[in-house]
Amino acid sequence: MNDSMSIPHLIMSASTVVQLVMLLLTVGSIASWIVIFQRTFVMRRAKKTHLAFEERFWSGVDLNELYRETPSEQETNGAEHVFRAGFREFNRLLPKTRSPQAILDGVQRSMRVAWSREEERLNLHLVFLATVASASPYIGLFGTVWGIMGSFQSLSMTDQATLSTVAPWIAEALIATAMGLFAAIPAVIFYNRLSSEAGKLLGKYEGFAEEFHSILHRNLQGRGESDAG
Amino acid sequence: MARHDSRVGYGLPTLLAVGLHVLVVVMSVITLPSREPEATSSSVVQATLVSTETTTDQALRAEEARARATQRQAEEEAAAADADAAAEAERQQAEEEAAQRQAEQQAEREALQQAREQERLEAEADAQRRAEEAEQQARLREEQEAAAEAERQRQEEQRREAEQQREAEAAERQRQEEEARRQAEQEAEAERQREAEREAERQRQEEEARRQAEQEAEAQRQREEEEARRQAEQEAEAQRQRQEEEARRQAEQEAEAERQRQEAARAAAEAASDIDSLIAGEQESIANARQAEQAANSFQNLVRNAVEQAWIIPSGAASGLEATLRLDLLPTGELIGATIVSSSGDGAFDRSVIQAVERAAPFREMRQLPPAAQSQFRQFNLRFRPGDVR
Repeated sequence: MNDSMSIPHLIMSASTVVQLVMLLLTVGSIASWIVIFQRTFVMRRAKKTHLAFEERFWSGVDLNELYRETPSEQETNGAEHVFRAGFREFNRLLPKTRSPQAILDGVQRSMRVAWSREEERLNLHLVFLATVASASPYIGLFGTVWGIMGSFQSLSMTDQATLSTVAPWIAEALIATAMGLFAAIPAVIFYNRLSSEAGKLLGKYEGFAEEFHSILHRNLQGRGESDAG
Repeated sequence: MARHDSRVGYGLPTLLAVGLHVLVVVMSVITLPSREPEATSSSVVQATLVSTETTTDQALRAEEARARATQRQAEEEAAAADADAAAEAERQQAEEEAAQRQAEQQAEREALQQAREQERLEAEADAQRRAEEAEQQARLREEQEAAAEAERQRQEEQRREAEQQREAEAAERQRQEEEARRQAEQEAEAERQREAEREAERQRQEEEARRQAEQEAEAQRQREEEEARRQAEQEAEAQRQRQEEEARRQAEQEAEAERQRQEAARAAAEAASDIDSLIAGEQESIANARQAEQAANSFQNLVRNAVEQAWIIPSGAASGLEATLRLDLLPTGELIGATIVSSSGDGAFDRSVIQAVERAAPFREMRQLPPAAQSQFRQFNLRFRPGDVR
């Protein structure tokens, strides 16, 4: 009969506040999906490079050679970044001090800094995803409440208590809630998945940093004994 | 090992996210119109569906009620007829009895009269016979005497020679005497006959008098009886009529009460919900399709309600506004055009009225109307007043 109940028509005929809420939710949904896609790609690539680096690290190659092969510090990430930071600090401290404890302390500090940078990089925008996931239902609910308020106000003005007067208002108000949920549900799911993946990768980096630290410690112990002997 | 590709840009994810949302919006826009007709037409069409459903039901009920009413009426009529027939039969019987009695009485009377007549006749005949007998005897005796005379005359012929004179005188005398005696006898006979006649006359007169008295008494009795019977009959008739009247009045009262109750129920149902009344009207129209007026009325109500449902009164409209709209409809109930006949003076109000009609537009119930009403509603006016809707 007429398309007064179609979703685009309802959205276009909604009040300004509800339209703003809907716009906000749409932007939030699009942004959260951008984050989801980008993070998914980043995680997948980080996992792949981590596996490749670990394979190369444990293949018995010389550490100096490995250090030379890797690109500069700004372009590396993951375990490779941790390795570069630690090995560069080791090479810098080695000629300056004879205390192995001081060298190991400096290497560990440097690697922790690199690790925390990696953590920051991996968890980038995940907080935004969490915000969208938790806040968008409330924003949608606000739009709904506002719309229903408007519907009752118009009801009191028209004095015509028929369903057809109330229905469009409530329908357009409920669209706001629907959009809030539409934005929130993927955000929640992907936030949980991406943060768990990031946590797993960071755990792997930490493990690698410990192993690298023990290797350097072993080298320093041997050199200290040869120096002493 | 070039690590430049390990940096993930935002271009591709943005493209993907926007594409996903556009896809969702396009799906919601494209799939909805196909689903729309059944969703949007629900308001009016459902009403019709419900209406037809209930129609049959109520029509059935009305039919039943009518059947019951006719049955009851038939029963009442039958009862009345029975009573009538019984009274009639009774009366007939009474009449018959009376007639029989009368006939009997008449027969009796007639028989009595006949018997009396016969008696009288018999008496007369008796008298005549007796007179005849007497005459015959007299003749016989005369003949015998004549024979004896002849004998004697023949025997005494010789003697007669001698005594002819004397004998002739004697014969003469004797004959005279004979004559006298016969005369006397005849006279006596006549006298007796007269006597008998008088007697008979007297008897007849008596009889007559008695009969008259009897007849009078009979007539009197009959009149009285007649009177009594007529009175009784009249009374019975009056009683019967009164009873019939009473019964009829009671039946009428009951029917009236029943009708009133039904009307009250209908009114209550109408008060309960407009749509119900609408449906009821619609049902009624379908149930008695020949009552075109009612159907037309219900159609008008239906259109009015459908338009009222679709009418969103502008919030700023004053309450005293009033607009009249002319609707042109196809026989299928589709709207050809709606024009303002008399404007309310408020442009927004007029526009809202036209929008309401267009929104309510296909009045499919038009097809269920009888043709006469259809032609009547091809073009008609609707008046809009906000007060009507409240």
